[in-house]
Amino acid sequence: MTATATQLGNLIKSGVHRMGEIEIKIDDSNNRFILHHFEDPLILNDPTFGGLVVHEGPENARDISTYAEDGTYRFTKGQVNLKRGWVMLLRSAEELRLALDQFYPACVGLFLAQQGGTLEVEMLRDKLNRQTGMYRFARSISDAGAQKLVQEVCGPAHQCAKKILWKLDAQTPLEDSEASRFNGIPGNVPESKAIPLLCREACNHFVAECRKAAKAEFEAKNVQ
Amino acid sequence: MSIAPKPTSALLIVGHGSTENPDSSTPYFEHADEIRRRGLFAEVHCCFWKEEPSMREAMYLIDSDEVYVVPDFISEGYFTQDVIPRELQLTGPTTEVKGKTYHYCLPVGVHRSMTGLILKRAKEVAPGVDPADTTLIITGHGTGLNQNSTKAIRDQVDLIAASGAGYAAVLDAYMEEQPFIAEWDKMSQTPNVVVVPFFISDGLHSYQDIPVMLGIESEVGAAASQREIFRHNPHSLREKMLYYSSAIGTERLLADVILDQVADFDKIHQ
Repeated sequence: MTATATQLGNLIKSGVHRMGEIEIKIDDSNNRFILHHFEDPLILNDPTFGGLVVHEGPENARDISTYAEDGTYRFTKGQVNLKRGWVMLLRSAEELRLALDQFYPACVGLFLAQQGGTLEVEMLRDKLNRQTGMYRFARSISDAGAQKLVQEVCGPAHQCAKKILWKLDAQTPLEDSEASRFNGIPGNVPESKAIPLLCREACNHFVAECRKAAKAEFEAKNVQ
Repeated sequence: MSIAPKPTSALLIVGHGSTENPDSSTPYFEHADEIRRRGLFAEVHCCFWKEEPSMREAMYLIDSDEVYVVPDFISEGYFTQDVIPRELQLTGPTTEVKGKTYHYCLPVGVHRSMTGLILKRAKEVAPGVDPADTTLIITGHGTGLNQNSTKAIRDQVDLIAASGAGYAAVLDAYMEEQPFIAEWDKMSQTPNVVVVPFFISDGLHSYQDIPVMLGIESEVGAAASQREIFRHNPHSLREKMLYYSSAIGTERLLADVILDQVADFDKIHQ
């Protein structure tokens, strides 16, 4: 078993039971982990767990998490619109890790690295300066424009449940807002009982929005 | 080529991905699933340029000390020579990064076994059609950013033309550089034309953009996975019969090509 899977298994055994919108249960009597949407009630003594679609193993995690219930593409998995109505049965911590890496890519590893003090955060300017092709223009966004975008694009009010760790650059923190304060744990769960979703670098959706805003800034300047 | 199991190594499959088209990354995950099922590596992961997990997040996915990196890209070019090495901090075929050893393999698209996959795909999409009356066009993106990006396609054209497959003509064509795929009918002298998109996925370019350039669609349609009915061949267009296949990367056997590139890396460098 990989070290990450072992650490993850130990976390769950210690009482951590939530990651994003997913509730994680240990089914000791069957020696397995059970995942389901935290808003779906789970009936353990029922073959369908109370009318849910049962998935054995982690293979369908990507399919479940690709589209929201209304058919829109979940371009970042931090979105709080994960489909409901399913339950996933996993036979080992390794399968649990595989499933969670599909639902929330790299987020288990990011959290463990943060706990171990080895997580490296990437500032927004570094991310924008590495963009290529048509996204190269995103780097010209102003600091004020980027701060505004964080409040318009990020945070649970805009469907993202990730805890933002990055700043604009090493000297420029994000302005205080609901988005910049969010702890990466949707639902009412104590921080000690959840693996938070960490945002170590701005996502590509945010980069695309920076490009649009930068173009609007450029055009506004040229009009004046 | 068979590959010896590597129970202490990780395989990292690198793709482009998309924030707009969910089908872009599907083949990469399918290739990873297929290789994972074979139990050859301690762990198999994917990472992307435009999708999660990012290349820079990949190091947080991996426990193993030795990592084989295979670009699931169709050509050697801007991404494989500039972007991926920069993002993963690779400086050569083998690089030590933060205590791990990364082996950087060649992209799948340049492997010699791709020739057979293209011919297989071309035959499947136009069953019973005589190659002697058919032009086979291999189409790709093309870009001014890196001259190597079309080399893999031009190489395949030469290999297939010399293979004795019997096509009246084998041609290359591109979205953004000459010869343009939009002029497929003008470059073809035969009544039948088979177009094989040399892309990894049925994503934005091969499923949505190129069909408009070919004239199959009048405007960019929805993603493949959001269509109820997959397109049906042949298309009677511009006084020819046009057969348009799925992207070459959606071929299940591409998982074998990923493993071939790992085996080739070991053969050349170790």
